[in-house]
Amino acid sequence: MPDAPEYKPVEDSVPKVDNAVAVGENLSFQRKWWRFERAVWVFFGLIILADVAGAFGRGPVAKAQQQTDSLTLHYERIERTTTPSTMTFQFAPSAIQQGHVHLFVSQSVIKQLGAQRISPQPEQSILSDGGITYTFPATSANALVEISLEPALPGVYHMETGVPGMQPIQARVVVMP
Amino acid sequence: MAFWTILRAAFGYFFLIFIVRIVGRRPGKQLTPFEFVLIFYLGGLTLTGMVGGEVSLTNAVCQILTVAMCHYGLARIRQRSDRLAEILDGTPLMLLEGNTWRALTMQRTRITDNDVMAMARDQGLKTLDEIDTATLERNGEISIIPKEQED
Repeated sequence: MPDAPEYKPVEDSVPKVDNAVAVGENLSFQRKWWRFERAVWVFFGLIILADVAGAFGRGPVAKAQQQTDSLTLHYERIERTTTPSTMTFQFAPSAIQQGHVHLFVSQSVIKQLGAQRISPQPEQSILSDGGITYTFPATSANALVEISLEPALPGVYHMETGVPGMQPIQARVVVMP
Repeated sequence: MAFWTILRAAFGYFFLIFIVRIVGRRPGKQLTPFEFVLIFYLGGLTLTGMVGGEVSLTNAVCQILTVAMCHYGLARIRQRSDRLAEILDGTPLMLLEGNTWRALTMQRTRITDNDVMAMARDQGLKTLDEIDTATLERNGEISIIPKEQED
């Protein structure tokens, strides 16, 4: 024998007045919601403005520069996950020694910030404590090296770079989801 | 990482629910080409962020399961909590009552008298005078109750 169906008495939660249509309108809630909606639209506008400014990466606010006697680093302090960007190293004449420049980059640049390729190709890459030291042939001042980045995961990462034996540059990079 | 793809799927689902709720209630029969563009565009843009570079079948299956579970969970909570149901769906809103428009409601819900008249015609009504009440339902449809015929 099949199980009997379960029954529940009909209870209309909306009071019926003067045989009017039982709508269940809640205007006080709705007015609160409309106020909330207006606030949300303002918030959306602010988010878009912040985005255009680069507060979430890929804009003027995100771009940063740090300089020492031997090196100028152009980078983005706010990156986005799986979005390509370029970190540029500009060497001062004092960094060039015997036709070569050496550049140390910490492991976080390679791993967390997702270094994809380095241009120009280094003559030599040496694994050193906490990072890699690249060697490039260089004859002129203001030599440029670029590292293409594509971070895989969001987070806040600390990086260090510099010409070995000279003042290093330390930076914090925020990777947005 | 698999965890992030699952998290992205769940975030995409809840974010879309929130956006659609904020953008307004005009789906269902009131879906004009104007809303079609919005729905497909939002869907496409969300998909880009959800899938990212991971286009494997495994990822797709896991993300679909995540969205299904989110939906199931939300539906269960909504069923038990009137407050959440109100937040997610809103409440029905009277648009026209006894030959009077609810002007503020019309303005806030971005519904015009032409939208109401279109629904009235759908029910075979010829003029606004024949409408007793017009209600914007929680699912976005406008229900029309005609005036009772005078003998």
